[in-house]
Amino acid sequence: MKEYFLDFWDAVSSTATGMAITLRHLFMKNETQQYLSDEKPETRWNSVIVPEGLLQDRSRMRLYVKMEDCIGCLQCEKVCPVDCITISTEKRQKTELPIFAANGQGIKQRVVQFDIDMSLCCYCNLCVYPCPTDCIVMTPEYEFAERDKTNFLYRFAKDKATPPEPPEEKKEAEPVAAG
Amino acid sequence: MSTPRQYKDLEPDEAYAFKLEDLEEDEMILNMGPQHPSTHGVLRIELKTDGEIVKDAQPHIGYLHRNFEKHAENIDYQGIIPFTDRLDYVGSMGNSLSFAFAGEKLMGIEVNERVQSIRVLTAELQRIASHLLALGTYGLDIGAFTPFLHAFREREKVLDLFEWLCGARLLYNFNWIGGVSHDLPDQWTDRVKVFLDQFEPVIDELHNLLSYNKIFTKRTASIGIIPPELAIGYALTGPNLRGSGIKWDTRKEDPYCGYEKYAFDVPVGQGRFGPIGSCWDRYYVRVEEMRQSVRILRQAIEKLPPEGDVHETVPKRVKPKPGEVYARTEAPRGELGFYIVSDGGLIPMRVKARSPCFVAMSIFREIAKGEMIADMVAIIGSLDIVVGEIDR
Ligand code: SF4
Ligand code: SF4
Repeated sequence: MKEYFLDFWDAVSSTATGMAITLRHLFMKNETQQYLSDEKPETRWNSVIVPEGLLQDRSRMRLYVKMEDCIGCLQCEKVCPVDCITISTEKRQKTELPIFAANGQGIKQRVVQFDIDMSLCCYCNLCVYPCPTDCIVMTPEYEFAERDKTNFLYRFAKDKATPPEPPEEKKEAEPVAAG
Repeated sequence: MSTPRQYKDLEPDEAYAFKLEDLEEDEMILNMGPQHPSTHGVLRIELKTDGEIVKDAQPHIGYLHRNFEKHAENIDYQGIIPFTDRLDYVGSMGNSLSFAFAGEKLMGIEVNERVQSIRVLTAELQRIASHLLALGTYGLDIGAFTPFLHAFREREKVLDLFEWLCGARLLYNFNWIGGVSHDLPDQWTDRVKVFLDQFEPVIDELHNLLSYNKIFTKRTASIGIIPPELAIGYALTGPNLRGSGIKWDTRKEDPYCGYEKYAFDVPVGQGRFGPIGSCWDRYYVRVEEMRQSVRILRQAIEKLPPEGDVHETVPKRVKPKPGEVYARTEAPRGELGFYIVSDGGLIPMRVKARSPCFVAMSIFREIAKGEMIADMVAIIGSLDIVVGEIDR
């Protein structure tokens, strides 16, 4: 009987301790930040612990490819663990004007297809390291939700594939008039 | 080739462990999950009940199966690390550390002191974050909502620190074979210190808010008892083992990453409010472990070598010699080990993960017998399982 009431007292007192903590927090600064609140549009990168402006320094969100610098070496495609990069290239002709990437590397291949399926990407950053011209990068852009899954297929290639030469037309044998 | 059988093709009695005809009078088969808010993922548990009492319980796993081990046989070592992150997705740093450690052992790489310190820093921060999630949701399972909010507020800070460090919040790909992906940014350790200073009082607050609450202790301190012999018999590890009063911590017994340099205690369950090895003991061990992690973190910041290249020993190509290796680390949930067999190629021949959650789940049947239905949730929560690691 005595134990029963002791338990009862314990429950009340320990709950009151908890309540006191909660009450104290009621008068503390608000922790919750409204996402994209109208008064403070900058709050989306706010952090209590990280100094201002440093949080997104290394953020790995959406991929971006600077196509002008891509030399079509396929390194990024090979290293991707989920195979979400698809590249196809064709050889640039000797007669074409030589072009160079930003670091001075000559571009020998024309990239005619550079697709990244961002719905498959696992944001592992592995494709960024081997790139010789640093043209595939992770950006801190994270708001890219889509209604249609196919919109996640980003096509970066700017050049069109050269259409294949039309096959030579065969001269049809003249019908021999039946005699 | 025959098409693989799907779940819907199973015979009704294959999907159930308990047969209808074996049931005695008043017994009933009850399905809990896979979509149950307190099973922490997709876990299905089949209960044989007699009124309120659970006579038998059989967990069914496989709802989150992602074929990690087979997948790992088809990609190179560096590419596996993002997949290891996804095993225990609330303790990613620990998983990739374990795999990187195994890979280094296989290749005979010795990482430098700075890398070791950075790994200790991130692993302990991750332990805090993971335990906070475990404790917060455990309170939520029992019906205490407030501690959950406090825990997640703190966890958010750890995730912010990680985002600042390596750009990702949950799945980091941070520990590589032979190094880590990013060096610490300036001021990082200072901010970690700021975090630790304000985090320590939060642990006491959590104790007052939840641990010593009479309602909470009444509900947890007398259920889900794992006696020490049973815990060893089932090869439990981590807080689940220590909750049964056995002092075993891989960081102490088989030190890696220079853990032998740090002074810390191994908290064990003492059976304060009931028999030893109860749900409350496991819960309490986790809270106290966070305190020890804070201690380790402070020492690690102190001892962090100012110089050192974090990419110094990263090999150009990971191509180990033929051989096999087993390496284990103390992940937040227990001993996580990777067994790798290499045939000398660029991709491993076999990768096997020894996951602590799978082991913890296998003891569930044993300890659930004879408990109330309402306590099932408390027992599952106290084992702190992450289904991503059970199913792999
Ligand atoms: S981030 Fe990883 S998954 Fe995404 S494209 Fe690059 S390598 Fe592939
Ligand atoms: S690694 Fe860089 S240069 Fe090479 S194909 Fe990829 S994006 Fe282009």
